[in-house]
Amino acid sequence: MWSAIVLILVLTLVPAKGFAQNEKGERIYKQWCGQCHGYEGDGEGYTKRYTFPTPRDFTMGVYKFRTTPTGEPPTDQDIIRSIRKGNPGTTMPPWKRFSDDEVKALTEYIKEFAPDVFEFEPEVIKITPPPFSEELIKEGREIFKKAKCVECHGLEGRGDGKKGWEENFKDDWGERIYPRNYTYPWDMRNGATVEDIFRTITTGLNGTPMTSYQDSLTDKQRWALAYFIKSLQLERHLGISLILKRVEKAPETPDDPLWDTLEYLDLPMGGQVIFEPRDFTPVITNVRVRGVYTEESVVIMLEWVDKKPDRGEEGNPPDAIRIQFPEKIPGGVEKPYFFLGDERHPVNVWWWKADGTVAEYSAKGYRNLQMQDRQNIKAEAEYSYGLYRVVFKRSLATDDENDMVFETGRFIPFSVAASDGREDEDDVRCAVSAWYYMMLEPSTPVKVYVMPPVVAFLVFGLGLVLHKRLSKS
Amino acid sequence: MSNYYPVLVLIGLLISVISAYRKAPFYNYIGIQITIYGLLKSAALIMPPLPAQVIVMYVAMSLFAFLIYFSIREETFRAFLEPMRSVLADRDKKLQRVVLVFIAIPLFAGYITYAKVRPSYKPPVTGRIVHPEPPQEIDFRGKTISILGLENPLRKETDRLKDHLEAGKKIYYQNCFFCHGDDLDGRGLFEQAFNPPPLPFRGTDTIAQLPESFVFWRIAKGWKALPPGSHPWDSAMPSFEDFLTEDQIWQVILFIYEATGNKPRTWE
Repeated sequence: MWSAIVLILVLTLVPAKGFAQNEKGERIYKQWCGQCHGYEGDGEGYTKRYTFPTPRDFTMGVYKFRTTPTGEPPTDQDIIRSIRKGNPGTTMPPWKRFSDDEVKALTEYIKEFAPDVFEFEPEVIKITPPPFSEELIKEGREIFKKAKCVECHGLEGRGDGKKGWEENFKDDWGERIYPRNYTYPWDMRNGATVEDIFRTITTGLNGTPMTSYQDSLTDKQRWALAYFIKSLQLERHLGISLILKRVEKAPETPDDPLWDTLEYLDLPMGGQVIFEPRDFTPVITNVRVRGVYTEESVVIMLEWVDKKPDRGEEGNPPDAIRIQFPEKIPGGVEKPYFFLGDERHPVNVWWWKADGTVAEYSAKGYRNLQMQDRQNIKAEAEYSYGLYRVVFKRSLATDDENDMVFETGRFIPFSVAASDGREDEDDVRCAVSAWYYMMLEPSTPVKVYVMPPVVAFLVFGLGLVLHKRLSKS
Repeated sequence: MSNYYPVLVLIGLLISVISAYRKAPFYNYIGIQITIYGLLKSAALIMPPLPAQVIVMYVAMSLFAFLIYFSIREETFRAFLEPMRSVLADRDKKLQRVVLVFIAIPLFAGYITYAKVRPSYKPPVTGRIVHPEPPQEIDFRGKTISILGLENPLRKETDRLKDHLEAGKKIYYQNCFFCHGDDLDGRGLFEQAFNPPPLPFRGTDTIAQLPESFVFWRIAKGWKALPPGSHPWDSAMPSFEDFLTEDQIWQVILFIYEATGNKPRTWE
């Protein structure tokens, strides 16, 4: 009799589990996921040609971000983590609006695109970080070289390794893929904490050239590596203005040690999406700006990561960067258009290209660029392990009436545009920044040194007089 | 929560009560003043914090009020001034005098002066009108479209609404979501790159407040048609008449309202 009951139970439960309509999951998927991942889960959504990296194809059941050994499918928690936290630097945002139940249902729905893959729950790796120590970082640095991480990720971890540029460096779908640049934590798809990094090293990223190091390195070695990689991350200084200090002698080259002592401003870059050809997939996500000035000239250094230098020799445009200023420092709020100015408000454009060209343009809109008759800028560039540094120099005032005059104490608008030749980026299709300000710091007024002691002395005197008077009476 | 000012209120009250008991009007006043300041700061617990200027004003007002109060009668006023007189004059208060009158107060005055005269550089900040007045009519690729009283013509095509919505969704995810976000929350991939940041469509204070005609004008013309008060030079909003047809713009408008559950304002 017992067996009959069990049989009935099994018969009623199995179909219920297998064929239950996951309406909640389906509704959310179709409304909020299908446009990118495809209504059939095949990654063939509306955004396929408009995003980099392209949205995941769920039908293969191959997932990059997991806590499971290499080759294994992710756990539910892994999928939930990707949904909840998103993948930084991609168009996959953190979905916080949905309830836990909804995300659970969505996860079940996504798994149904590759049901065979999810038949068994795989084991999960342990993630318990040892306490941080400088020793670990040191050890990690050694492992980084020995474990051949540099082959793809480059000696300084900027994702500029040689292997990344080989013909067959592709993912399982045949799409181009780039090794991660560790110095930009805001671009780390799988998260930027030391636990996230450890997880990636341990499990590898299925379907990509990033293999698992679970067997080839011990737990401790992988933690050391994770702490080392974490230590390479830059700290972004965001803001709206940069103060340029006055120095006696201007640094002439990008490797001048003075640069590393200066305050900097990081500009988050976006795609130029306003004019054709538009750029939806810019790869330059940050430009760091520093500057100083002397009695005669202003010197500005722009710094950004480009994983492979292109001098324009392979048929694509050369890498380039440009900084623009209004032709005249605006008196009020009104400025030229932030991308290459406009008809009524021309901008000065200082343009450096990796083929060696340095030129000064006047722009009145994106289709109206004119090289200036008088060229007054100089530029020095350096490319080192994935990092471009370009130093522009110009005198504060020039003999060209179309050049902006750098006045101290004024907030001078500037914006930056950068292009990566390998991505066929050029003068219009490029990464752009908003308007920011730089100010040449004026020398401190004398009253700052004089007035406080004078006031302190007067107050002291007053106390003395009161004391004398009152003690007499 | 890190508002510890209620503790300051208690300390002030304590000082005030003890000094009233010991008939020391000067310290009584100090206690009351601390209490008042603590209360003004504690207000932030139940309402938006008071601006610093308002607090300075109230403290100054109470200072004058108490000065008047204590100076009405000759002997109270004398008792009130006594601690100050004693620090300045009494032989046995020499240590307090040197520390307070000859060192601390002059240094403090010097510091205040420094804080006032030291140069501080702040970039210009100016208000920006987020939803400017739309024009009466616009020129859309040579066709004059009247904005006033304009409604979304696609809403009438009830049998094709579903197709229009899907078409709008496709347009949104090939043109708009880079800035305005996958979830229409203004948090797209390029959110940080542009200033002003992209507008969210979720919530009740953007498209929910606007008629569809306004949204049509903003999408069709983008940064170019913004009046100076809205700082067109900063805006990264393209003129979508360069990329989309009239119908496509109406389709994407249908989508952004539908997807956020918002209803456009109507022409009453």
